[in-house]
Amino acid sequence: MDPNVNVKMKSYQVLQSFLVIIMFFFIVFNTTADYENDPIRTLLPFDAIPAITKPQFVPAAKAKLDADAPVIGVNFNGESHAYSLYLLNGHEIVNDVVGGKKIATTW
Amino acid sequence: MYSRELDGKTYTFGVSGKLWRDALLMYDHQTRSLWSHITGEAIQGKLKGKKLTPLTSMPQIAWKTWMTNYPQTKVLSVKNRESLERDNYANYHKSQRAGVSGTSYTDKRLPNKSLVIGVQIEDKNGKKHYRAYPLTVFAKTALIQDTVNDMPLLIFHSKDTFATAVYKRSVDGKIENFELKDDYLSQDNQGRLWNLITGKTTSSKQQVASLERLTALNIYWFAWARFYPDTSIYKP
Repeated sequence: MDPNVNVKMKSYQVLQSFLVIIMFFFIVFNTTADYENDPIRTLLPFDAIPAITKPQFVPAAKAKLDADAPVIGVNFNGESHAYSLYLLNGHEIVNDVVGGKKIATTW
Repeated sequence: MYSRELDGKTYTFGVSGKLWRDALLMYDHQTRSLWSHITGEAIQGKLKGKKLTPLTSMPQIAWKTWMTNYPQTKVLSVKNRESLERDNYANYHKSQRAGVSGTSYTDKRLPNKSLVIGVQIEDKNGKKHYRAYPLTVFAKTALIQDTVNDMPLLIFHSKDTFATAVYKRSVDGKIENFELKDDYLSQDNQGRLWNLITGKTTSSKQQVASLERLTALNIYWFAWARFYPDTSIYKP
């Protein structure tokens, strides 16, 4: 074997090890940085999922809900609102006022 | 659940369609700043760094149990419907996929899709302490007594109705021990009975009529751990 090839191989291997080390630090460093500075990802346009801004309510006796239907419940100053989780899946946010408190119910 | 009032102004929130740490970002109509719905903090825009005030709620409960305890309750109605027949995210809940888009961040202490009750307690110095209560610990008992950084806590979760409530475990400034008597009725060591859905007592032998409710989240482990990586996990 040509000794020059061997030298070239060796320097290539050194370079390769060096690159592996650089990549290792890059990945470790980059993962940390990514946690501190997580990207914002756009999946849908604004309001593609329509938040509720003027919520309508019915009294408990008129509500068509199964006994075991999951709801979020809030109670402030003697006033209570319930929101079906299955309904909230399609809206995710309700801008509401309960017992004089202006609230955002999020799901 | 957050207050929409901040620094004397009222905001209206919409869905931005954007995700951050695999969780929903809200935006406010007034400034179009982006807000994390997990932390209530604005992460981009004019209001960046501002924080909404979290409010207490019942994060989930079976309708019948809510109605029994709050018979005057009103119910959200959209196009004359108060519910849908099914959960559109049922497949997402069933899978072990973390996040709608599949996240790469995981904290292996618990499986990604374990549900936990997430509690945060702020100490006198403003430092926050986080603890997750896996719902599996409520299989045998609906009531857990714990202390997080000197704060005595009562954590209630019913596996039947999914009701979740976290209270300060003290009455009139005195720490109490509680014992579950019925589905959601508990007794303290003074013999007073407390409803753990409403937090109210039937007794009048103390100044306060209600336990102090704290904010609590029902949340997937991967999301809780991603936002609060230094969380501890409750072990019985």
